[in-house]
Amino acid sequence: MSPILEIKNLSKNFGGVKALQDISFDIGRGEIIGLIGPNGAGKTTLFNCVAGVEKPSSGQIIFHPDDDTSVQVGGKKPEHVTKLGIARTFQNIRLFDALTVLDNVKIGRHCRTRSNFFGAVFHTPSQQQEEVAIERDARAALDFVGLKVDYHAMASSLPYGEQRRLEIARALATDPKLLMLDEPAAGMNPQESKELMDLIRRVRDSGVTILLIEHDMKVVMGVCERVVVINYGQWLAEGNPHQVAKDPKVIEAYLGSGAACDAA
Amino acid sequence: MNILAFSQYERADWVRLGCLVAAILLPFTPLANEYVLHTCILIFLYMILALGLNVVPGFNGLLDLGYVGFYGIGAYTAGLLTVHYGLSFWVILPLAAINGAIWGVLLGAPTLRLTGDYFAIVTFGFSELVVLFITNETWLTRGPLGLPGIDPPSIDLSWLGGPVIWLEGDSLGVYYLVMALVLVTLFVMYRIQNSRLGRAWFAIRDDELAAVSCGINLLVYKVIAFAISAAFGAVAGAFYARWVTVISPDAFLFWESFFILCMIVLGGLGNIWGVMLGAAILVSLGEVLREILPLLGLPENSRFLFYGLLMVVMMRLRPAGMLPIAAVAAQMKTTSKRRLAWFKKKGSAA
Repeated sequence: MSPILEIKNLSKNFGGVKALQDISFDIGRGEIIGLIGPNGAGKTTLFNCVAGVEKPSSGQIIFHPDDDTSVQVGGKKPEHVTKLGIARTFQNIRLFDALTVLDNVKIGRHCRTRSNFFGAVFHTPSQQQEEVAIERDARAALDFVGLKVDYHAMASSLPYGEQRRLEIARALATDPKLLMLDEPAAGMNPQESKELMDLIRRVRDSGVTILLIEHDMKVVMGVCERVVVINYGQWLAEGNPHQVAKDPKVIEAYLGSGAACDAA
Repeated sequence: MNILAFSQYERADWVRLGCLVAAILLPFTPLANEYVLHTCILIFLYMILALGLNVVPGFNGLLDLGYVGFYGIGAYTAGLLTVHYGLSFWVILPLAAINGAIWGVLLGAPTLRLTGDYFAIVTFGFSELVVLFITNETWLTRGPLGLPGIDPPSIDLSWLGGPVIWLEGDSLGVYYLVMALVLVTLFVMYRIQNSRLGRAWFAIRDDELAAVSCGINLLVYKVIAFAISAAFGAVAGAFYARWVTVISPDAFLFWESFFILCMIVLGGLGNIWGVMLGAAILVSLGEVLREILPLLGLPENSRFLFYGLLMVVMMRLRPAGMLPIAAVAAQMKTTSKRRLAWFKKKGSAA
């Protein structure tokens, strides 16, 4: 399986704090890969580096490393990264609260459309066609995630689980090749997280690679094909989720050294 | 069939249509006299300004305290082009808009990286600079003496073999002229807010990080907003110059920016119908106060105290404005409910 994203010796410092140190791993095309680690391990920092929100201190993040569209993502602006085909959701949901469900997803189509001020004012034929396409694609994304709410309701009025879904729909509307989900199951009940796992698998089956940060081990075990564990900003372990869960180093990182001895 | 088609309009649409019809018919009612028409022209002028300013704080969530700078630039562009080159009002209008937009880009491109209050301070400084420039560069603007002798707007029908109609002292003609400008502004704003451009602005207003994650270039879209806002400010300025025929720097002082800002906050930040209502209310209130204050023995400028009082009352009763955008209204409602619950809990605990 050829990788879609290659992270090479990635480091990120905030002043004296080494948030990420020399992290390297690959993400295979069409994989569901989990990124786990205790709180403060640097998972979200890694996401932010890939998404362009943070500039890596050193190291490389290469999108499509093996083919001729290969491009260095690290240090690019977030809007460019999205355009390249890397979409994300946020740990604490970030929707456009004062807009409708449909408009939220329509904004996701922004990077794939191009009409401008003059199109908007004069309703040029190309702008009108584009608006129809935006609406169609937005509705398709909403249908895909299975959001069964009034599309003209305000995003802020949705229940928590539905807001998560809406955020995923918005990310999917950008036509990503790689989707990064930051703790999508946080705060969900078991039924909701089960539905979320189904959704993640369906997204993958539609041809999108998934990088997942998650604390809910049921979700990680249930859906991830491979996990990367980081701790204190350092690579700790990598592999099949069930093997990694038995790894004494990983248990130590989560539960302390005493627990690791007990497990051994 | 027609009746069915009508029923899809909401009540609000009927109210708007009613207002438009009333505005068109007003000059032919017994209510109309020179003073009423003059006040209405002023209301329409401020509606253009309010709609233009609304783009920046209302659609993009950026505090702009220097809007009057663009109003001044538009007025002096129109004034100077008229006095020196005798250009027609209809040629000047787009030129003023373009000049306004250029200054909007020149100011916006380097400063829109700033956030919140810092940006507001820069815009405030800009409007002061414009006034200082107008006041001191007397070779160009005649400074505090003002720029007199600007021709009134004209409607040139000579290409149809008709006359050139000068709207000098013709309140009726000016009334319909400025109403047409308001309708054009409203049309542009209405179409933008339902387009990709408008959605990008609303995204920036609601959450900048989420907006960039959707591929929106913050700086580009903020600069576009600033340019469009400035263009409409300049159009209003150009109309103002041709209407009053004499302009001087003291018409473009900081308090004008604040006055327009009050209108859009009062009416409902981000709601194009609301900001027009805000303009109508504050201009009318100004006229009422102009009559009342001398009777109370107060100086005319104390009207600002009443504007302030009105804002305080609004903050208490309708913090999202007279006609808030729906979502904000809903948010405010839940917040105030929560606050009420909190107060009750506090009360029972004590």
